[in-house]
Amino acid sequence: MTIEAAGIPESKRGRRGRLMVRLESVVVLAVLVALLSVLSPYFLSVSNTLNILLATAVIGVLAFGATFVIAAAGIDLSLGSVLGLSGVVGALSINAWGMPWPVGLLFCLGTGALCGSINGLLVARAGIPAFIVTLGMLGVARGLALVLTNGVPVYGLDDAVVYIGQGRPAGVPFPVFVFLAAAALLHLVLGHTRFGKYALVIGDNEGAARAMGVRVQRHRIALYALSGTMAGLAGLLFMARTNAGDPTGGINYELTAITATILGGTNLFGGRATIAGTLIGALIMGVLQNGLNLLAVSSFYQQMAIGTVLVLAVWLDQANRARGQR
Amino acid sequence: MSLLELEGVQKRFGAVWALRGVTFAVEPGEVVALVGDNGAGKTTLMKTITGFHRADAGSIRFDGVALDARQPGEIRRLGIEMIYQDLALAKMQDVASNIFLGREPTRRLFGTPIRIIDRARTEREAEVMIRKLGARVPSVRYTVGQLSGGQQQSVAIARALTFDPRLVIMDEPTAALAVREVEHVLDLIRELRKQGIAVILISHRLTDVFAVCDRIVALRQGEVVADEAIASTTMSSVVAHIVGAA
Amino acid sequence: MKPRTRTLALAVVLFGVAPAATTHADDRPVYGVLLKTLSNPFWGAMEQGVRDGAKEAGVQYFMQAVESDQAAEPQLNTCNTMLERKPKAMITAAINSTILLPCLKRANEMGIPVVDLDANLDHEIARKAGVKIAFTIGSDNTAAGKQGADWLAGKLGKDARGAVLVIEGLSGNITGQKRAQGFKEELAGKAPQLKVVASLPGDWDRQKAANITNDIMTRNPDLVAIFCANDTMALGAVESAFAAGKGSKITIIGVDGNVDAVKSIKSGRLAASVAQLPYLVGKQAVAKTKAVLAGKKADEYTYVTTLVLTKQVLADNKDPNLKYLK
Repeated sequence: MTIEAAGIPESKRGRRGRLMVRLESVVVLAVLVALLSVLSPYFLSVSNTLNILLATAVIGVLAFGATFVIAAAGIDLSLGSVLGLSGVVGALSINAWGMPWPVGLLFCLGTGALCGSINGLLVARAGIPAFIVTLGMLGVARGLALVLTNGVPVYGLDDAVVYIGQGRPAGVPFPVFVFLAAAALLHLVLGHTRFGKYALVIGDNEGAARAMGVRVQRHRIALYALSGTMAGLAGLLFMARTNAGDPTGGINYELTAITATILGGTNLFGGRATIAGTLIGALIMGVLQNGLNLLAVSSFYQQMAIGTVLVLAVWLDQANRARGQR
Repeated sequence: MSLLELEGVQKRFGAVWALRGVTFAVEPGEVVALVGDNGAGKTTLMKTITGFHRADAGSIRFDGVALDARQPGEIRRLGIEMIYQDLALAKMQDVASNIFLGREPTRRLFGTPIRIIDRARTEREAEVMIRKLGARVPSVRYTVGQLSGGQQQSVAIARALTFDPRLVIMDEPTAALAVREVEHVLDLIRELRKQGIAVILISHRLTDVFAVCDRIVALRQGEVVADEAIASTTMSSVVAHIVGAA
Repeated sequence: MKPRTRTLALAVVLFGVAPAATTHADDRPVYGVLLKTLSNPFWGAMEQGVRDGAKEAGVQYFMQAVESDQAAEPQLNTCNTMLERKPKAMITAAINSTILLPCLKRANEMGIPVVDLDANLDHEIARKAGVKIAFTIGSDNTAAGKQGADWLAGKLGKDARGAVLVIEGLSGNITGQKRAQGFKEELAGKAPQLKVVASLPGDWDRQKAANITNDIMTRNPDLVAIFCANDTMALGAVESAFAAGKGSKITIIGVDGNVDAVKSIKSGRLAASVAQLPYLVGKQAVAKTKAVLAGKKADEYTYVTTLVLTKQVLADNKDPNLKYLK
């Protein structure tokens, strides 16, 4: 069967980049690293690099979860609260309910998965906008964490848990291993499996996804459950780092996580996202905060700096994209 | 037994009855035109066949198999494909991904039970399909959003033809095309008929309909008001049915 | 604008932000000082004391704080980053009794003495975590609470009857706990008919304290006094009381004696504040650190005195400690 489709104008230019990440994000990160190396003698060292990775681990894991949800044109504002609740439930299960520590860790993940699933069900089946649902969960999860602990952190968990948070196998902080392993695994899922592909297509054109046979609502629920589980994992790391179930843990973290995701090139309205990009985005924020700390810049300026970098990075991206499209 | 049999299909959206009991059939290898004014229910009917909507009453049988409660994915697997009016493409994905959307070939990751999309195979086979269609798409790696309207339609057509459908539904495929391009679409329909693939063509361009179709079904306010062989009717008769003057 | 130019613009912006406070290295020993947040005048006064103390002692220091006195994990990350600069000593005011312990342990391992600034660490918990504290310096928070109770009993009379509200600090923070505890125990002894009807955490937050005050005033119309674990919360309580027209009936006491509290006392709104002398705490902390580094042994606890500020005391201006009020 041959159809001579002559006369259909060819696309002027623009090969789709085969890179895993947006070039702009990498450039921003590289510029920051170069700048800070010059400005502070303490910046470029193995121990400081490990510091940055450690400080970025919790937010990074959270941002990975956010990436999946945002890829499908959703949003999850409950990430920080679910982080807090997961840490609290994990800590209580070990301290107050007498579970062995591996079970405690499962409780962390399970709490996250449960909260995420509830979010997903409300969004998919009840049709309530994700912004509202996750905003509600933000309050409920945080409140529940405070209720369960009476506002007081549950301190002093198992030695194994402390190792997970503070141990340094081969000199590398344990949370960094978890962070990077999660990055590798989730990058595979988002970029190379049907699960990830469908998340992106749902965000790109939900009608098309549905017409082509994707079970959209089911997929949505799964995505929110995944995001919740990542919040649970982040809560696990937070609990381990602080050796406590802290009901005030993770307040406002969702905003940082979403910022990291956007910095990494994810389209806030869905359809385009990579985990590698989010990793770069999280590192940009981690490097910025670390660098400004080393330079003893007031934390007030740090907040201004982060906001500015976000807008600049997205502006860079949009302008370049507009140039590259028809 | 006909390839596709619709009987008394009804569909409503809230208080609005979009389909009030549609009955007609399509034979294998037949090209049937579905015509009607705006809002007559043509697209709704087709979307009900493909599983996008669920009928409130009536039955739809494909090769004797009931389609009523099935998901769009199943219906595609049974051999019904549709080229939607808005093309239903994921503009941020590349051509190859769009062609295989919903049916991506997978392979095992390093021998583990984890299944990842076989990108190499996807691109290879998409390339084959695009060449077979003779579409002027420079590379299957292009993001669909970067292509022209005509190229995007080629992608939508390629997607519909890749898995050997037995019925292809086309919703206004020539509406935005230039003269030469329209002719290519009509040639494609003729070719499909030659291969024994049935086609339902939704179109408001009656010249196209009379050029290429075997039968014409006219829909008006959710009901079939005419079901005739092209040879035994005229354009003005069809128009009369569409506007309700017949 | 070409992408390269855009990236350059980004670099220029960062160059503008970075030099905000770059400390230049010289030969004097450098101490690391980590406060909670600079958005409370209490810590501003503490910083001033550190600055003057450093000048007197002939030492350098670099100081960091985080964005709020609830940002626990960021404080931990900042602490880790500060260790990169290998200070001679780490003088830290921990946001809660557990969050900085992993970092302080690393400081110990690096041979850096740890000073507990403003008595935020629980010595029991620190010992269990294997952290060695060189010394603790701060106000005696329990004594401060007691002073507040003594003054209230003196003002209202030891046979006074009525309801009393206690607004505590951030959950899990030991300074707040000690102040509240000290107040409650002393009040029970000195004026047993004054009943504490509620003791709720105000999280050092003005708004929260205002809301708690409103709620308790509604529940207990016979409310005669409110003790707040810091001035920020006391000032919130003051606003609520006066807004409800009960400003003259309810005696409100804060802790810290900061600038805003002094203004409020002078204008007759806040009744009293148990003033800490953060300026002295900061100054003496630096002096003692220098001594410890020189090999002298320090007491486990050093308490800087507190005094009760009232309109009268401020008007008389006779107390010698008033000059340390910043």
